[in-house]
Amino acid sequence: MEKKIIEILNSVKPGVDFEGKTDLIDGGVLASFDIISLVSELNDEFDIEISVAELVPENFNSVEAIANMVKRLEDED
Amino acid sequence: MTYNTNIFLLIFLPLTLLFYYILPKKARWGVLLAASIIFYLSSSGRLIAFLAITTVAVYLSALLMQRINDSFKKQKSKEGITKDEKKQLKAAAQRKKKLVVLGAVVINFGILFTLKYFNFFAEGINGLLGLMNVQPIPHIDFMLPLGISFYTLQAMSYVIDVYRGTCKADRNFGRVALFMCFFPQIVEGPIGRYGKLADQLYEGHAFDYEKFMHGLQLVLWGLIKLFVVADRANIFVSALFGDPSRASGAVVVLGMLFYTVQIYADFSGCMDVVTGVAQMFGISLEQNFARPFFSRSVNEFWRRWHITLGAWLRDYIFYPISLSKFFAKLSTKAKKHCNEFFAKTLPVAFALFFVWFGNGIWHGADIKYIVYGLYYYLIMMIATLCKPLTDKFINALHIKVESKGYKLWQMFRTFLFVNVGMLIFRAESLNQAGLMFSKIFACFDIATLWNGKLYSYSLSLQDLYIVIVFCFVMLVVGFLQEKGYKLREEISKRNIVFRWSIYFLALFALIIFGAYGEGYRAADFIYAQF
Repeated sequence: MEKKIIEILNSVKPGVDFEGKTDLIDGGVLASFDIISLVSELNDEFDIEISVAELVPENFNSVEAIANMVKRLEDED
Repeated sequence: MTYNTNIFLLIFLPLTLLFYYILPKKARWGVLLAASIIFYLSSSGRLIAFLAITTVAVYLSALLMQRINDSFKKQKSKEGITKDEKKQLKAAAQRKKKLVVLGAVVINFGILFTLKYFNFFAEGINGLLGLMNVQPIPHIDFMLPLGISFYTLQAMSYVIDVYRGTCKADRNFGRVALFMCFFPQIVEGPIGRYGKLADQLYEGHAFDYEKFMHGLQLVLWGLIKLFVVADRANIFVSALFGDPSRASGAVVVLGMLFYTVQIYADFSGCMDVVTGVAQMFGISLEQNFARPFFSRSVNEFWRRWHITLGAWLRDYIFYPISLSKFFAKLSTKAKKHCNEFFAKTLPVAFALFFVWFGNGIWHGADIKYIVYGLYYYLIMMIATLCKPLTDKFINALHIKVESKGYKLWQMFRTFLFVNVGMLIFRAESLNQAGLMFSKIFACFDIATLWNGKLYSYSLSLQDLYIVIVFCFVMLVVGFLQEKGYKLREEISKRNIVFRWSIYFLALFALIIFGAYGEGYRAADFIYAQF
């Protein structure tokens, strides 16, 4: 799953090394525009529905955090 | 009573601090609440009733939503309940919560709309009624409660967070009331979030010398920005915008720059004062400014300027609209039938319109504020739509986007865009803004900057030099902070002689260079008027 997420992140924001980064939101790597594209891609890829309530830095600061959120939403479904 | 008055700085604040720290920790939130109510009453008197209505409304609606949630969880956990039944229960609970949140929105924004925007919209409607020979809606002079534009947003963020489930409803009315009226942030923010602020306010903090001194330093720095820079710049700005008809284009440009400096020093200075005051009680407020003039794009500027307003608009307008089911479907269709770039841009373009319209009208009931907001919308949309083209252009010319020269160019360009926005923002009307812009191109006449014409706008050489010198000081401080220096911590590490020399230097700068005496007066906080 992490691999796929990195792939999506690279398509949303090319030229960034996402592996190991833990401040994607707090460090300003991903802006709100990127989040919209990222959420749309994640929804399509994993067949989940990321609600506005999930859009907090803790869920998007790292690839691991994104993967955890996706897994949780998949389980909830 | 406002933050830059003697009564606040020399009597109200020291007394509140004294009571806060001598009373037991459990009672300290009560001191803050009592002080906040006194502060509010001293400024708005009976208008505190509006703040009380909003507070009670959000308190009750949050509790109601919590009750709906709890009841749903109870029913959901009953034995033998099927998945479909659970879904139905969830949908029913969601519908009920939606009704409650809608009620809270109607009450809170209803009050704001009536008090702040009634006459603006009535005038618009009267234009139409006049055409039909119908009796016009009368003009009503409403008094605006202190900080209504700020506390309404803060109140709504609490209710919506409870609705979304990112924050739990609080049964403690005192804590909700303190969150709503905490005196350092009631006048012009920062717009706080319940999850980050409420517990901090309620918890009794032990006296911490270092935090206290850091807070005091920030208050002093904020006062320097207010009294030395903003109030001095205000003299020239007020005179110029009061009557720009005889100004040359060069004087207009200088006035525009002065206003940008004034509003930055005024708003960020006030934020420094209130953040410092809160820190003296051991409370951390949200950051509202992060050296915005080092921004490389207008987008970045708005992530560094009035950060809490931008974050509010992002979380409660931008995200819900752009991630709505309607746009998700539309985007998927666009991806199939058009191209991916268009599909990605469509929801953003639509949501951004509401963000910038909201940003503009939030500042005031005037068409110029709407134009101000849409001006930024236009810049952002042009930048977004042209991005594939500009990327190609940059690649073709082998421009190194991370080079110092290119970064400086980007900062300069952003600064220019911001200044143009500031002129629209400050002008008395759109017509005046148009007149002033036309002067820049029609009769620039640079000689008016040194042939004595400036004196007729009450700008003395002394004011000019002091503002320039302190702008340079703010620039150096900003530059060091950009490089990662934590200046207050650096000062704390130095010996006592160095530390106190800095404190006295700052205090003398405030006393000697502040705009006091004949011909000067402390200007009202610009953002307090919104």
